[in-house]
Amino acid sequence: MKTKSIVVVSMIVILTMLLASCAKAAPVATEAPMAEATEAPMAEATEALMPSEIDCMGAAAGDTVSMLYQWSGVEEENLNKILAPLVEACGIVINPESTRDQALLDTRVQAGTPPDVTFWNVTQLSQYKDKLIAMTDLGVNGDNYAEYWKNIGTVDSKWLGLPVKADPKTLVWYSPANFTTDGYAIPTTWDELDALVEKMVADGKVPWSMGMESGDATGWTGTDFIQDILLVTQGPDYVMGIIDGTIPYNDPGVKAAYEIYGKWAMSEMYTVGGAAGTVSVGFNDAINKVFSNPPEAMMVKQSGFAGGTVKATYPDLTYGTDYDFFGVPGAKGLQGGSDWMMAFSDKPAVKALVAYLSSAKGGEMWAQVGFDLTPNTAGSDAYVDAALLKKGQILANATGFTPDIGDSIPGGFGSAEFKGITEYVNGGDLDTILNTIATAQIEGLK
Amino acid sequence: MRRSKINKMLNKIPTHFVIIFTMFVWLVPTIGLFITSLRPLPLINTTGWWTAFSDKNTQQTSSTTKFTLNNYIDAIVGYRGTNTYVEDCQSGSQSSSLKCNASDLLNPRGMGQAFVNSLLVTIPATILPIFLAAFAGYAFAWLDFKGRFLLFAILVGLQVVPLQMTLVPVLKMYAQTGMTGTFLGVWLFHTGFGMPYAIYLMRNFLGGLPKDLFEAAYLDGASHWTTFTNLVIPLSMPAIASLGIFQFLWVWNDLLVALVFLGGTKPVMTYQISNMVTSLGAGWHLLTAAAFLSMLLPMVVFFALQRYFVRGMLAGAIKG
Repeated sequence: MKTKSIVVVSMIVILTMLLASCAKAAPVATEAPMAEATEAPMAEATEALMPSEIDCMGAAAGDTVSMLYQWSGVEEENLNKILAPLVEACGIVINPESTRDQALLDTRVQAGTPPDVTFWNVTQLSQYKDKLIAMTDLGVNGDNYAEYWKNIGTVDSKWLGLPVKADPKTLVWYSPANFTTDGYAIPTTWDELDALVEKMVADGKVPWSMGMESGDATGWTGTDFIQDILLVTQGPDYVMGIIDGTIPYNDPGVKAAYEIYGKWAMSEMYTVGGAAGTVSVGFNDAINKVFSNPPEAMMVKQSGFAGGTVKATYPDLTYGTDYDFFGVPGAKGLQGGSDWMMAFSDKPAVKALVAYLSSAKGGEMWAQVGFDLTPNTAGSDAYVDAALLKKGQILANATGFTPDIGDSIPGGFGSAEFKGITEYVNGGDLDTILNTIATAQIEGLK
Repeated sequence: MRRSKINKMLNKIPTHFVIIFTMFVWLVPTIGLFITSLRPLPLINTTGWWTAFSDKNTQQTSSTTKFTLNNYIDAIVGYRGTNTYVEDCQSGSQSSSLKCNASDLLNPRGMGQAFVNSLLVTIPATILPIFLAAFAGYAFAWLDFKGRFLLFAILVGLQVVPLQMTLVPVLKMYAQTGMTGTFLGVWLFHTGFGMPYAIYLMRNFLGGLPKDLFEAAYLDGASHWTTFTNLVIPLSMPAIASLGIFQFLWVWNDLLVALVFLGGTKPVMTYQISNMVTSLGAGWHLLTAAAFLSMLLPMVVFFALQRYFVRGMLAGAIKG
């Protein structure tokens, strides 16, 4: 009986191992016919229609590309749709892996088993500069990218990353309906915005809704605002200077931006609830206050997700007539998040991928699918979604793109910045606060 | 007499209060998760799960049903769109990776295939270390060989090696031997890291068995092998069962090791759950269903083996 149990246990082990070895074979078996089946007719069809649009760069059907990216769920589906024409035309098999854990990428790279390509953040370009293959060696179509994108992607004079996705947040949300009733026009310069704000105050309206409460991260709405003001008053090079440490955070330019912000954020005439309101109103509530009936404020500076917040809170409102946005007027560049494609391999399939994504067809596909924005200029007019189309225009007219300052400087800088702006709105001494943040900036960049 | 009864009851009130309170704290989120997983997305977004049974709910939105199995279906087939799998299949607008027939149950992006992969990882990774640890535990407890205590001390010491530190070197080794992305690699890794504790527990449990028992067996002419199979294994069932629970739950719930060594090539349930939502958190209604699917098997294992659990936890705690 006792030997029986051992036999049973070992049989289970052997059985699962056998099953596992079968399972290993299974995906290969199912993948191959699938790829062939869809590929054969499709390839003919696409070739017949547009023969020269997709360059396979010598990749053969069945070549694999392993990918590691942070997208999942619907985002992953979007990427699949964008890559579908390439997969159909060249028969490339994509082996994607998805994780939001950067440690996985680091582990794989250190162990010498990096993915062929990865879609990650801009900071990884300099982190892996020795291991990445230059885009120029991979058949990139550089004409489709603005000069500033190439500059961000260039490390040690090599263009190492292809910007694939951008989500600018230099936006102001407002209600077109309310603007029409009150006879306000959308400002096109910072001076016009300033004049509009004053006019609203004179009319007895509250121009801004600046609430920035967000738990531990209270203040991020404020620091976003500061960065946008800096992009207006100083420009993107100045912001990049803060990020790489050449410009200290207690520079007079930063102080001036805080003072512009503070004038609005600390007064009950300019923002809902004055200083107390700015500190205590949640950032989502702050968005809703502009679209409530009657509105508590006229404008809220917030990134693209605000549209979703409005839609969720007021399902009856429609985009374009009840809520809409304009780019922060006079901004000489944008701030926001961007995703970059980096290649650890120069095999033909990777070249085909780079060539496709940087081509006109790739840019158009990205825009049509509507996976945020594409920095590929060929996509600028191809957006189907009205809000994306407008954001795409803002991006096309931008002359620079900066990542969030707080996210880009490591260490405790981000939280120091949040704490600082909260203290400032609460009435703290600005010079002392900026000196503290500047210390965190130096510490973080050491 | 009566007073002492009342006293007894009064004495128990704090205990009962603590138990009920703990149960409440543990159960409420789980029930919330469960109810949410059965609700259609528009309702999840507009009202809280505690209002799930009230009628006001359905009037607010166009949705006609209060409960649905769609979240579970979507999770199992790995649906990634903005609608539901059933609706997409009816309108024929499903994505190219879905066929709208039974083969979707094993779609590599879904929880169905992930469940199979999780089983394939977990069963050998649970049985192997326990099997080896039983042998080693017996040897450490009852075989007399040189350096026994030193070896045992080193082994116990190995428990403090953090798993994360070894990821890069082991992955390098696997890359050279072609074991990255294979089940074998994960089995060996889990076996290696499960064994120090398993051996420690088994040795202390076996060392606690009465010496006379073994002497009697040896006197009767039993070899070490016979003693092990006929005496030690049946006697140590509680320890083996509790080790089994521990190791099973640990491997089943592990994301890190599976992510590094298997990743997206053979996705396990933990990996797939984390991929149900987008990087900004959208699509979490699928996550609720996926989380419940992954809880099912551990619950079955736990309830099936729980009578061994407490006995096993005390294994090796007191020497007889």
